[in-house]
Amino acid sequence: MGSILDILSNIFLMIGIFFVFLGMLGLLRLPDIFNRLHATTKIGTIGAFGVMIAIVLKVGFTPMGIKAITVGLFLLLTAPVAAHMIARAAHRHGVGLCKESIIDEYGKTYK
Amino acid sequence: MKRYFFYSITLGFAWCFVHGVINLNNFLIGMLLGPIIIRPFKTFYNFDEQLSYTNTIRRIPKQIKFLSILLIEIIKASVFVAKIILRPNLDLKPGIIAVPIRAKTDAGITAIANTITLTPGTLTIDVSDDKSTLYVHAIDLSDPKAVSESIRDDLEEYVLEAFE
Amino acid sequence: MNSLLLNISLVFMVLSLIPCLYRIIKGPTIPDRVVAIDAMTTVIIVMLGVYSLLQNSVFFMDVALVLAIISFVGTVTISKYLDEGAVF
Repeated sequence: MGSILDILSNIFLMIGIFFVFLGMLGLLRLPDIFNRLHATTKIGTIGAFGVMIAIVLKVGFTPMGIKAITVGLFLLLTAPVAAHMIARAAHRHGVGLCKESIIDEYGKTYK
Repeated sequence: MKRYFFYSITLGFAWCFVHGVINLNNFLIGMLLGPIIIRPFKTFYNFDEQLSYTNTIRRIPKQIKFLSILLIEIIKASVFVAKIILRPNLDLKPGIIAVPIRAKTDAGITAIANTITLTPGTLTIDVSDDKSTLYVHAIDLSDPKAVSESIRDDLEEYVLEAFE
Repeated sequence: MNSLLLNISLVFMVLSLIPCLYRIIKGPTIPDRVVAIDAMTTVIIVMLGVYSLLQNSVFFMDVALVLAIISFVGTVTISKYLDEGAVF
């Protein structure tokens, strides 16, 4: 019984760590700020959430597990809001899209 | 008054989760501290419209269904972007499009904006002044029609059911 | 076996701090640096979670929670400042 939960927890931990690593690789590789936000918001958040689920599976509903759930849910709720705020500020601050971009319907609305 | 009660229950649960031990004592402490927290930030909450108990409770199953769909979409989104990052040469076609939405209330618009951000390849940037259009950045925009149609048909139905 | 896996994941997390640092130092614009700092906070939260499991102590989890809150408030504050020139 306990060993199954341990194995599941290890799998979740590895998946989470891999996703966080991929997110940071995306931060390095992608060309402009909006694409980088795609990488860090989605992959980084789901990776952190996976690690928190791994902790809950390992320790159960002790104070540590409950706090891990809280941290995971908080990250999942606030990451989209932070991404939206910083993308809007960057676009209004004058950071252009990268040169591969094909269309920009937002730029002409606020000038 | 009803709103104070609902938000106090929510804050009581939040206090339990932050404290780390879920029991009746902690829940009651959080619930009693709730109104003191809500009072200074009263302008953030919408105190004008009336709220009924049955209406709020009736929506809970639909919200749970919405959350389960959201979780599946988030996992799909992560795999989608991970595949793009692991490509040897990045061949991107990003861009910003305007997507018309049907949600009217503030809670509905917030829910759909956050849902768009967490689903495959799209990121909300801004909402227009009359609250009828969302500006969405998509990482792979080879077919703009398909992106806006997938938002309108797949996601918005559930958001409208759960939050309007 | 178990602590070996946790140690290896800590090493991987330190490795993924390097792209964030590169982006903070090199990043062409200010919003790029803000995004990099936000991502770095996520990595540090994951590190704190794993370390708390390794040390079997609940206090690192508290640190992770406070760090998540401060990171969110900081990002929102900086983006409001960039957008409007004033925070309040």
